[in-house]
Order: sequence, then C-alpha cells, then structure tokens
Amino acid sequence: MELTIDRLTKQYGARIAVDGISAVLTPGVYGLLGANGAGKTTLMRMLCGILTPTAGEVFCDGKNILDMGMDYRDILGYLPQDFGYYPDYRAWDFLMYIAALKGIPREMAKKRCKSLLEMTGLAGAGRKKIRAFSGGMRQRLGIAQALLNNPKILVLDEPTAGLDPKERIRFRNLLADYARERIVLLSTHIVSDIEVAADKVFLMKKGRFLHQGTVEELTRQAEGKVWELRTGPKEAAFWEEKASVANLHREGEETVLRIVAERRPCPEAVPCRATLEDLYLLCFPEEERTPLDGKHGAAGAPRLSDDRRRNRWN
Amino acid sequence: MELIKAEHRKLWSRRSTQIGVLVYLLFTLVFGGVLSYQWFSFGSQWDSYSSSFENHFDGYENIRRKQEYASQWDTITDETFQEMAADCQKRLLSEDAALREPTEWSVLNTWIRTLWPELEEADNPLPMIYYVNPEQLTGFYERRQEKLEEFLEANGQEGEEKAFFLEMNAEVGTNFPYRWTGGWSFLVGNAIESMRMVLGLLLAVAAAPVFAGEWHRGMRPVISVTKHGRRRTAAAKVLAALAFCLEMVGVTAAGSVLCQVIFLGTEGWDMPVQFIKLLAAVPWNMLQAEIYEYVFLLIGGLGFTAVTLLISSLAKSTFAVLVLSLGVLYVPMAVSQYLPLWGQKLLELLPMVGNSLDIFRTEVYHVFGQIIWSPWMLLAVPFLIGLCCVPAAFWGWCRRQR
Repeated sequence: MELTIDRLTKQYGARIAVDGISAVLTPGVYGLLGANGAGKTTLMRMLCGILTPTAGEVFCDGKNILDMGMDYRDILGYLPQDFGYYPDYRAWDFLMYIAALKGIPREMAKKRCKSLLEMTGLAGAGRKKIRAFSGGMRQRLGIAQALLNNPKILVLDEPTAGLDPKERIRFRNLLADYARERIVLLSTHIVSDIEVAADKVFLMKKGRFLHQGTVEELTRQAEGKVWELRTGPKEAAFWEEKASVANLHREGEETVLRIVAERRPCPEAVPCRATLEDLYLLCFPEEERTPLDGKHGAAGAPRLSDDRRRNRWN
Repeated sequence: MELIKAEHRKLWSRRSTQIGVLVYLLFTLVFGGVLSYQWFSFGSQWDSYSSSFENHFDGYENIRRKQEYASQWDTITDETFQEMAADCQKRLLSEDAALREPTEWSVLNTWIRTLWPELEEADNPLPMIYYVNPEQLTGFYERRQEKLEEFLEANGQEGEEKAFFLEMNAEVGTNFPYRWTGGWSFLVGNAIESMRMVLGLLLAVAAAPVFAGEWHRGMRPVISVTKHGRRRTAAAKVLAALAFCLEMVGVTAAGSVLCQVIFLGTEGWDMPVQFIKLLAAVPWNMLQAEIYEYVFLLIGGLGFTAVTLLISSLAKSTFAVLVLSLGVLYVPMAVSQYLPLWGQKLLELLPMVGNSLDIFRTEVYHVFGQIIWSPWMLLAVPFLIGLCCVPAAFWGWCRRQR
C-alpha cells in the first residue's frame, strides 16, 4: 500500500491553501502539525477526494484516486475536524447507518459495530441517544465510524480533540496496533500525541511542508536552540514578552523559563534538550506569542502537553 | 436497497418527523375520520343546531337511519324527486326533531334553488324546501341541462369551451341512482381535500432536513468519503423521502377507506358526483371521484416533496428550507385570490396548491391549442414539476459537495 502525493495544490482565488505538496506515504502513522490555516484540513480533504485539487494528483498504488472512485472510498476511513452527528440517533443506529453508507453487509456491520463500540469504550452507551453524549464520547464515536470499514488508509483530522488524557492514551495504543499494515494520517494541535504516536511528522506552514521526518530527526533541528533560564518574577514577565517561552514554572523564589531562540538569549541561559514542541515554537513564533499575550491561548497555537500545562500554571 | 432502507430509517428517526406524523394521523384519521363520523359531522342534532360539538355521539347509528330513509327512493325522476321534496317538507314542518334528522333537506333545498329559482319568494325568510309546492318541481334533467348552459355562459365560457363541457355532460345521463349522499359528500367534497393542507406541512417537516440537515450537522464530508459516496447516497435520500410521502398518503388512504367502510359502508359508490355539485359536468361516480382525489393527493405530495428536496439541496439551513417550502405551498394559496383568473390558474398548477375539488368545476387550460380539463392539468403539471425537481435536487447536492 502506497499513497503518493504529487505536487498537490489547492487555490481559492488568490489564496493558496496547499502549495505543491509532494510526499510518499507507506504503512505507518503520519502526524500533520501546523497552525490553523496552514492547510492541513484542505490537504486531508484532497487526500479523501472531498475537495478537487487545483493542480497535482494523489495516487494510491499507482492509480489516481479520483479515477478509483468507489474502490478508493472502500479502503478509506475519515474523521473530519468538525464531526457532525445526528442527535436523535442512538450510537448503535448511527454506526449501522454509516455501515450502510460504507456498503458493509448487515450481519458483518453488527459485528463491527459491537467490536468498535467496545474498542472505543462506548460499549455501554450503544443504546444511548447521541444528544446525551459528552464531547469526548462523540469524538470516540467519530473514530469508531472512521474505522468501520477496516480502512487501509485512515485520515483523522484532530482525532484527540475533546478526549481526556486516559482516552488519548487508549486512542494512541489503538492507532499503534492499527497502523501496522495501514497508512494513518492524523493532524492534531496536541504536539505530545504526535510525539508519541507518529512514525513520521510533517510540519506544515502556509500550505507547504516546512520540515518532515521522524520525531528524532525533527527535534534534532531544534537542538542548540532551546534554553533554560532561571530568573526572578519581574524578569520572567519581560522574557515572556520578548521571546518564545515554551514553559514557565516556579522553583522557590526562582522562575524557571524554557526559551526557544536561535541564539542564547542571555549569558545566564543554559542549553537544554529539545522536543518537538520546541521545534514548533521555533517555526511558528508568532502563533505562540499571541496566546501568551491573550493569557488564555488562541486558535492556531499548539496545545502544550498536559504535564507542561500543569507546570506552567501551578 | 440497504442504503435506501438506512436513509428511510434515518428520516423516520428524527423527532420532528415522528411528532409530525403523530399530529398528521391525529388530524386526518382521528379527528377527520373516526370522531368526525361518530360525532362532529354525523352525530344526530335532534335538539341542537348551534355547534357540531353539541352533536350526539351516535354517528354510526344516525348514518344507518339516514341511509335507510334515503333507500326508499331508488333513482331520481321527476316523480321520486317530488315525493322526496314532499316528504322532506312534511317532516320539516312537523314538531318532531327525530323526523327531521334523516332528511337531506339542505341538499334538496340547494337543488330546488338551482333548478327552480323562479319559485323563490323574496319576502319569505325560510329555505325554499319549506314552502315550495312539490308538484311544481318538474323537468329535473332538462332544467339541469339549461342551468349548466346558463352557468357556462355566465362564466364567460362560450364557443369551444362550452361545447367541451356540454359534450362531457352528455355522458352524465339521466335517472341518477340515489342513496344517502351525505357520507360521500363529506368524504369526496371535504375530508380528502382537507388532508392536503396538513400533508403539505408534514412533508415539508420531514423532507426539509434530508440534504440541508447534512450540512447543518457537518456530516457532508463523512458521507462523501463512504463507499457509496455522494451520488448513491443522494439517490437513496431522494427515494427515501418519496417513499415516505407514498407511505403517508397510503396510510391516510387506507385509514380513511377503513373508516368509510365501517361508518358508511359501500353503498352509493355508483351515484353521480352531481349529487355533490348539481352543475358539475364530469360523468363520474363517487368512487371515481374518490380515486381521483387520492391520486391527486399522492401526485401533489410527491411533487411537493421533490420541490422541498430541491430547496433542501440548495440551502444549508434546515429552518430556511422549511420556511421556503412552506412558502412555496401556502403563499400561492394566500395570494391567489387577489390575482386575475389566469394568475390563479397558473398558481394552482404548483404541487399541492391546486384543489382536487376542481373535478366539480368547469375550468380548462388551453395548451398548444388543445382544451384540457383542469383536473388533468392539476395532476400532470405537479407530476412534471416533481420529475424536474428530483434530478435537480440530486445534482444540487452532488455538485455542492465539491
């Protein structure tokens, strides 16, 4: 199984959403990382055949996906970013409906629905109306519908949004099992999910792949650009304004800052080990600083891992 | 087939659809059917004339009394008509309300007013049936022919149109077989027609979210990437919505016929529709008229469903679709009366806007030099509109997915 993306472009008037992207995907988990408006969703929609590219093509095992039509859709699973639902449906009925759309025979569909409800932790909620579901339950139901036809290509747009940490771990384990012989492409704002789950990461900016490689290969690019600085509270505020601060926590009277910068920000700063999140901040400094100014984060910024969030606000 | 079933289940699973169906069945079969036969319309009113709700709850027995009374006259001839009028007059003038009850005095009065207007006493406030001399009521069929011609002329229908209706009327014949007309009059002249208004509302509620709801719920991309894709799904959605309309009309017709058989029986099916409107020109009996009205309801319903589906495929908001489709239905009905005749006739061609009671009227359309009786046009045009809207809705949905 090989998915080849060949100079894929999508243009809306003068705005280029995806700009001549090329890549070859073989079985494994691929993480798509980028700020809002980077073109992730547009790219995913083109890979699913929902959007027609302005230029370029996508090939599945050498065949153009637009020519494959039903054969391609038969091996495809997709979870869109804004996953809709039918409030009057029960989870079971919803999955059976999607199974009918996917052309799965009724008896087989029943077995798949049962196993997927168990797999996503919704076994007890199958008879419950979707209107009564929490955000996390709806998201898990969305993941279940994407997996219904046992797809060879799985495209997940923000699959972990709304999931609690335990659910996210369960989801990552599920993906690891699932992706052995399949292509899984997922986009998320939660960098730690990609760090743990993805075999290869595409860092996307303004419709292009800025960086691509394994997590180690990418973090290596941020090595020597991450610094730790111990300072007082007043100076900490100054650095927050001036630099990309990846983390901030208190240790006694001191404030410990994790700063991402091309050069040593001050003589007291000491180099430390880089992470994927640091690379993200290095590539998208504006997106990170905006939410800090706004105090509560903003759309477009990556969400820091839960551990770091705790450090920051405790 | 599985896909159509899935779409059909989905359509039925919506709470709005379920509530709509419940209200519709309550209105058409419970209030418009059982309760109407047993209470509002045919319950006896021996001691009360003020409100239908004051009728006795004895429709079933009362209908039998009326049918038995009417059965003494087999066909309408001058002699039997005079006998009917005389007997009715005697009963009306008696003090006993129970004697009045089985007569069809208002029907007879209408016929007398239509055919023998010269017998009306301008200064007498009572209905003509109370005072007219029955022996003067002669020449029933000749007078009917004369009055029809006068009516057509007064209606501005001369030349070809007049000839068209007179030729049609020639097949009506004479010696009308007579049974109690009240039941058929209620059914063919009122009940089926009143279902149209509520059916339109139900179909709009059920079909509005078919396509627009997918946008509204954000399910469009999910559907697009499934094996069957947007085209087959769109086709299944259209078929499921049309099947829903078919079911609703089917259930209504079956329920209504069941009520009819239970309360009215089958007698009188061969009576001419002229018992409902004396000057109607169509040579149909009651059963033919009833069949026409159900076919009208079905075709109008299918056409209107297709129109709603088209709107649904072009709009993203279910509420907007609902408002627009109800607008397509009710606005032409409301404004029609303020338009010139040609405008009224044009609007009546829209699905569910026209009236199945046109079979009692003398209206025609001129199409490419041909004179076509309006009830046929009221079937053909909504059918054609529906036929055009179905592929348009299909492509509207498929194209927008890109």
